[in-house]
Amino acid sequence: MALSALARARAIYESRGERARELKAEGRKVLGYMCNFAPIEMVEAVGLVPYRIRGDTQERVTEADQFVEASGCPFVRNTFDQALKGRYDFLDGLVMSHACDSVQRMYGIWTQHKPAAFNYLFNVPHTVTQGTERFFMRELQIFREALEKFSGRKMDDATLAAAIDLYNRNRKLIGELYALRRTDPPLITGAEMLEVLIAGTGVPGAEFETLLTEVKAEVLGRSRKPEKKAARLMFYGCINDDTTLVRLIEECSASLVMDDTCIGARSMLGNVGGGEQMLEGLMHYYFRNFQCPRTYRGTDMKRFDYLIESAREANAQGVVLYILSFCDPHKADVVEVRSYLEEAGLPSLVLEDDYSMGNLESMRTRIEAFIETIA
Amino acid sequence: MSEMSKLNPTLDTIRRIHELLPSFYTKQAQRDAGGPVAWCMAAVSAEILYAFNLHAEWPESFGAFCAAKGISPHFMEQAEADGYSAELCSYVRNTIGYVSRMVEVGGQPPEAPKGGMGTPTMLLGAGVICDPRLKWFQTLSSRYLKGVPVFHTDSMSPPPGTDASDPKVKAHYMQLLRQTVHEQIDFIAKQLGRPIDLDRLRNALALAQEQNLLTWEMHTLRAAVPCPMSSGEFFYACPAPLQFMTGQPEAVAFLRCLRDELRERVARGIGTIENERYRLAWLGLPPWFNLGFFDRLGELGVVFPVESVYLEGEPVQIDLSDPVEALIERSWKRSEWTRKNGSEINPDTLAACNMSVAGTQLMRSWVKKFKLDGVIMHRTRSCRAVSFGQTHMKNIFAEEGIPTLVLESDMGDPRTWQQSVFMENVRGLLATIDGARKAV
Repeated sequence: MALSALARARAIYESRGERARELKAEGRKVLGYMCNFAPIEMVEAVGLVPYRIRGDTQERVTEADQFVEASGCPFVRNTFDQALKGRYDFLDGLVMSHACDSVQRMYGIWTQHKPAAFNYLFNVPHTVTQGTERFFMRELQIFREALEKFSGRKMDDATLAAAIDLYNRNRKLIGELYALRRTDPPLITGAEMLEVLIAGTGVPGAEFETLLTEVKAEVLGRSRKPEKKAARLMFYGCINDDTTLVRLIEECSASLVMDDTCIGARSMLGNVGGGEQMLEGLMHYYFRNFQCPRTYRGTDMKRFDYLIESAREANAQGVVLYILSFCDPHKADVVEVRSYLEEAGLPSLVLEDDYSMGNLESMRTRIEAFIETIA
Repeated sequence: MSEMSKLNPTLDTIRRIHELLPSFYTKQAQRDAGGPVAWCMAAVSAEILYAFNLHAEWPESFGAFCAAKGISPHFMEQAEADGYSAELCSYVRNTIGYVSRMVEVGGQPPEAPKGGMGTPTMLLGAGVICDPRLKWFQTLSSRYLKGVPVFHTDSMSPPPGTDASDPKVKAHYMQLLRQTVHEQIDFIAKQLGRPIDLDRLRNALALAQEQNLLTWEMHTLRAAVPCPMSSGEFFYACPAPLQFMTGQPEAVAFLRCLRDELRERVARGIGTIENERYRLAWLGLPPWFNLGFFDRLGELGVVFPVESVYLEGEPVQIDLSDPVEALIERSWKRSEWTRKNGSEINPDTLAACNMSVAGTQLMRSWVKKFKLDGVIMHRTRSCRAVSFGQTHMKNIFAEEGIPTLVLESDMGDPRTWQQSVFMENVRGLLATIDGARKAV
């Protein structure tokens, strides 16, 4: 019997790259990427399969310790550990973005020990000015040429436009699924949503479109809706490519109705515009408007307004701030974020983790107490 | 290993540092004179500040100074009480605690050493080296020093594996660097209401070139056996003139004097200690709160002829007719040199200042050049920029047959230091070296 769309999303999520490996066996080239600055539209436009590199919170880092120290980003360390264990041997290419210190340093070490046929560091400035935007546009052009050389296929404007159009349709569908979280109770849970999104980062864009379309139809059509919970929460913070914590929050009688993380609203909603000026459109989407705290956006606290607006729009009563150890950009921001949220009447809870989910029971107690105070 | 070594007297130039670098060590008088004050991050060009005749304070240096004076835990605890994680850079926490106290007492905290840093009228950041630098001044201006204008330079370096000799690559990176340097100059000019003095900049760059020759010669002189200056003395005396006074007459005179003294010591075969037995490289930042640690190791017969930080690199000569363009060109050449010497774990080095970072190939070459027996790595837990990649370096030294000891602590947070444990660990490293010698 064919799986339902949500069950299929879960299967892709749990299989950790099986679909990409199948495509590889069929002769496709798979390009792994880390962080969200190098546009996947370009990867698709030359016929490569984009695959977002994931860690595995359930697996202890054992191999990476020989090459990188423990006082670095635990997510980055974990992904490298996966690579050393051969879990990413199916990748033909590796693209890392200069998102933060840990990723930038990791690129040099990773490519010394586990080089792929194609290795690429996509450079990203830290401030948003006319000069840095021009730099980013040139980076896009250089990336385009590098992909063409590696794939042996020309990325003409028509194919790039088609790839952008495909991902815009996907982002629109994701936005429609997010809209289904605004009802009370939401029609799709936070854990289901995250599974769908993570699944989508491991398959070609067209397959993701089909999955999203079918998930939407299934969610709208199902008779058994998610139950109403005591509180509606937003989830903010570091990368979360594992549903464990989201499930825990939802088990504690809260609905996660919105998020601001990089497998989520921060990087998967909106639209690449620009019309014929495609590189400019990509620059706006992947650089100017991508709200990763590693990018300096001035000193006005209004830089966090988008968070308040998102929370309000989703009728969230509070925000869970998920912060990984040694993530300097998030750790520096979290104090101001909390105070700004509080001023806006949004209580918050900080959950720190070392990307192991090793303290779930302590988290459960704190989440329950938080929900009790706001419900 | 039981025999203790005797430390020779400190280099005379270093003993007289306060007298020789008065403009760095007597800032209170300059602050009292009033006028604009810029708080600046390392990697802001000291030559540009000098050309503007702008009074600069350096929070990283202040963090080191507070650590040396034992006051940094007080400021860091204040920052931590304000919500900032103890994992964040100790320089950043020291500054946040300091400004938090400024806000609390309505002026300079009385406990601040040397009268503190003065109240800034502008914050000049540099987006290279590490992430916390981008967040640091943002936090200060958002929360404590509200309204103080901030400017960050933002330059990027070609990634490892990139052919930096490709003119297209150079053009791509230079365009960004040129833009950010000009924006910085415009920003300062706007704040001060006066333009940069290009003649003064040219003079500073000319002196910086001489400084670069001096430091490279000193770097080479330290390879002598016995070693004329160890890392403890280097860390005590050199970061200020190298980094924060680049191209200033006082700094160059000081370094010239120090170079002459090193020449003399080498000619006379005088080392920093008597009976030098172990030659180690120091990787990472020092424990600023305990530079005496180097003396304790000296007593065990250990010298450090080289360290991985505050490296100016091979001399770069440039045409100074257009001084701003010269500054930009020098940055590129220095970045090229770093790249040539291995850059896979280096931060962005294309900064408009006078610093380089040791590449992995360069460090490999140090084994022979400095006749190294071993390496001590100071893993500064709050500094990803310097620490992340040290294990990779350790592996490279192992390939060269060189043992490495890792001491995990911090550059500015003495709460993490374990003197007796570390001394025991060092004795273990020295025993390993002894064992290897016997086996030969």
